[in-house]
Amino acid sequence: MVEVFVDGRPVQVPEGSAAIQACELAGVEIPRFCYHERLAVAGNCRMCLVEVERAPKPVASCAMPVMPGMKIKTNTPLVHKAREGVMEFLLANHPLDCPVCDWGGECDLQDQSMRFGSDRSRQHEPTGRRAVENKNLGPLVKTSMNRCIQCTRCVRFANEVAGAEELGTTGRGNDMQIGTYIEKTLATEMSGNVIDLCPVGALTAKPYAFSYRAWELKRTESVDVMDAVGSAIRVDTRGTEVMRISPRENDDVNEEWISDKTRFAFDGLKRQRLTHPLMREGDRFVPCTWEAALGRVADAARAAQPEERIAVAGPFADAESLVALKDLFNRWDSEHLFLETNAPELVGQPAGFADLRANYLFNATIVGAEQADAVLFVGTNPRHEAAIINTRFRKAFLHNRCDFAAISPEMTLNYDCVNLGDSLAALTDAKHPFFERLRAAKHPMIVLGSGLLERPDAAQHALHAAHALAKTCTNAAPGWTAVNFLQRQASAAAAFDLGFAATTAAAAAKRPAAKFVYLLGADEVAPAALPADAFVVYQGSHGDAGAALADVVLPGAAYTEKSATYVNTEGRVQRVRAALTPPLAARDDWAILRALSEFAGTPLPYASVQGVRARLAEVAPSFAAPNVQAAQPTALAVAAAVAAKAKPSKAKAKALPAVTLPVTDFYLTDAISRNSRTMAQCSRAFTHQIAESAHEAHIAV
Amino acid sequence: MSWKGAVSQTLRELRLHMCQTGPGSAGLRAFVQTEYPALKAQYPDLPVLVREAAGVEARAYGRFAHGREQRLTLEGLSQQDVAAKLKQLVASSA
Ligand code: SF4
Ligand code: FES
Repeated sequence: MVEVFVDGRPVQVPEGSAAIQACELAGVEIPRFCYHERLAVAGNCRMCLVEVERAPKPVASCAMPVMPGMKIKTNTPLVHKAREGVMEFLLANHPLDCPVCDWGGECDLQDQSMRFGSDRSRQHEPTGRRAVENKNLGPLVKTSMNRCIQCTRCVRFANEVAGAEELGTTGRGNDMQIGTYIEKTLATEMSGNVIDLCPVGALTAKPYAFSYRAWELKRTESVDVMDAVGSAIRVDTRGTEVMRISPRENDDVNEEWISDKTRFAFDGLKRQRLTHPLMREGDRFVPCTWEAALGRVADAARAAQPEERIAVAGPFADAESLVALKDLFNRWDSEHLFLETNAPELVGQPAGFADLRANYLFNATIVGAEQADAVLFVGTNPRHEAAIINTRFRKAFLHNRCDFAAISPEMTLNYDCVNLGDSLAALTDAKHPFFERLRAAKHPMIVLGSGLLERPDAAQHALHAAHALAKTCTNAAPGWTAVNFLQRQASAAAAFDLGFAATTAAAAAKRPAAKFVYLLGADEVAPAALPADAFVVYQGSHGDAGAALADVVLPGAAYTEKSATYVNTEGRVQRVRAALTPPLAARDDWAILRALSEFAGTPLPYASVQGVRARLAEVAPSFAAPNVQAAQPTALAVAAAVAAKAKPSKAKAKALPAVTLPVTDFYLTDAISRNSRTMAQCSRAFTHQIAESAHEAHIAV
Repeated sequence: MSWKGAVSQTLRELRLHMCQTGPGSAGLRAFVQTEYPALKAQYPDLPVLVREAAGVEARAYGRFAHGREQRLTLEGLSQQDVAAKLKQLVASSA
């Protein structure tokens, strides 16, 4: 700690801080454009000039490290004049198109010119401003490069965080331009973040360009469910529509970034929505009342034997509806509950998988991933399955020279990663030189992917082999957990916590053909896994693949329309908040199940949200403590003991099929993204690399 | 301890709640560490949900057929007492 004086007031700041941070600690706001806490310092906008005693000229506070006893002055005539001067230079070239700029109302340049700029203009001629050609960065980011003030935040973000090194600057001085030099899209799943970072309206969102003004929006703080990371988001709505989704800060989870799917898939919430209960008549669906639909479902459930009833939960199922569905099925003495991750064959879990939280959680935590110095991925592409966690791995790559290896099909990550083939034998063997590095590492990580669960025996083998390998990592820091499981669906961790997905593979193999199937937002069940004569109920928000199989369709709420609980992949319990009401006759998911329990004559013992949440804590105590990530030492010790006994052999590994990756197209993974036009465009442009056609360019405007 | 035949036909799920560090959960923690593998080996299909959360009371829930549940408080008990009480719970038929 060093002591510095800001406007005469003493503050203690950590050594190596910048003067701007000292000012912030002292409660003095310094205007800035290029400086950003999470990016490298560029020091090129000069907006943050302050006076430092005994310095001959004003200095850029973001690029000035503090020195003991430094006296910073932020409120002198010289500083005011300097700010006005910088502002004047920036505005001399900035177009006056605020009325048609999407960033209007949220623009740093607007705000800071009001506060720190001069109160009159010296400019008289309407011509002579800088003109820069717009760039085509793909279907997500719209450019209006005349507005760019060359702060290079976007360039630094793309290079440091997103690892998309094609974005850069060309030229210098007045001719400096931001772009990809050759015409190229910004191929990263994190590209949308440059929109928030850009202090002006040079980079805005293409999909919803010109559709709102910032001050018309109602803001609701919520949590994302497009993957199992649980990024903090803000849902902005106008009337009955979601207009925009942007990140909130949560240092423990997403810092202040979100993936493009999180940000842009919401237009899928406006298409193919289920708005009324539907009943199948022949080959069409007929709208009906809730009474008729629930009555029919209850009758069908009653007609089946306990063993013949199964339920499958999809990627967006919240904890409240999972526990209600489980309690309801248990009341009927039915135990066969599955998670869509096991789809399409509904094969069940490895025995004991759901017993120990350490088995299915990302034990090292998201923040912890940043410290890793050797990481082995098994059957997972973190870039597609948890883009935000992948940014932490990239940080580890940049800052601790972390080595990466993967047992998976070939994949492209935004850091170096050695491919060890796609056979689990590589894991059991542990012969590759990389394993030496892993064993010597202080913070080794073995990351098992959720795709492994499609084959319970493979998942079990991988888990045991991972523990065996972790045991040989003798150099690991005390308290560090090397074995990690990466979930990719928002519902997964909660489903395991609640014992929802606890049917073992052995038990699942013995069950008779299903007669009554309850799909809670599950769309990926192969029709072949469901007998033709089974009665299928689909409860969910979208008329997607699952609803097409159904006899009765019950319309549920999407994640922007309910207050519900989710557990992220590291076991953090978080709550999403309703920004809107569900469309027409659609209802909260747990309430639908509660109503169904009445119709079935087996009423659930809770009738309020508080009641369900109390029940959640009764089933798994972690639900009582929202927003914490808790270690599971006992479970971990037991998991290691069980694995040690199992002795995974190389011969067994050889007999297992090759590891595959569950996500082949990051942009189209679930009912919401499949119904999103923006995601479809991204899939074309990024996954399939098809250039935007004239037709699409037309509809995009 | 042998778990052969110890679990009743109607037991569907066993849930064990404990604190990671609290002294009141020490007995249950020790029980889980020593007995879980044996119990699991005998009943691989029975979910035994071990759930740790800071500050919770050591407890066990048995869920039996038709969703009937029994709750047991194990706070402050020794490993032997935990084992005895749990044996009783899993052997009962709700
Ligand atoms: S486009 Fe925006 S973020 Fe990028 S350099 Fe220009 S002003 Fe800065
Ligand atoms: S914020 Fe310091 S130079 Fe830009």
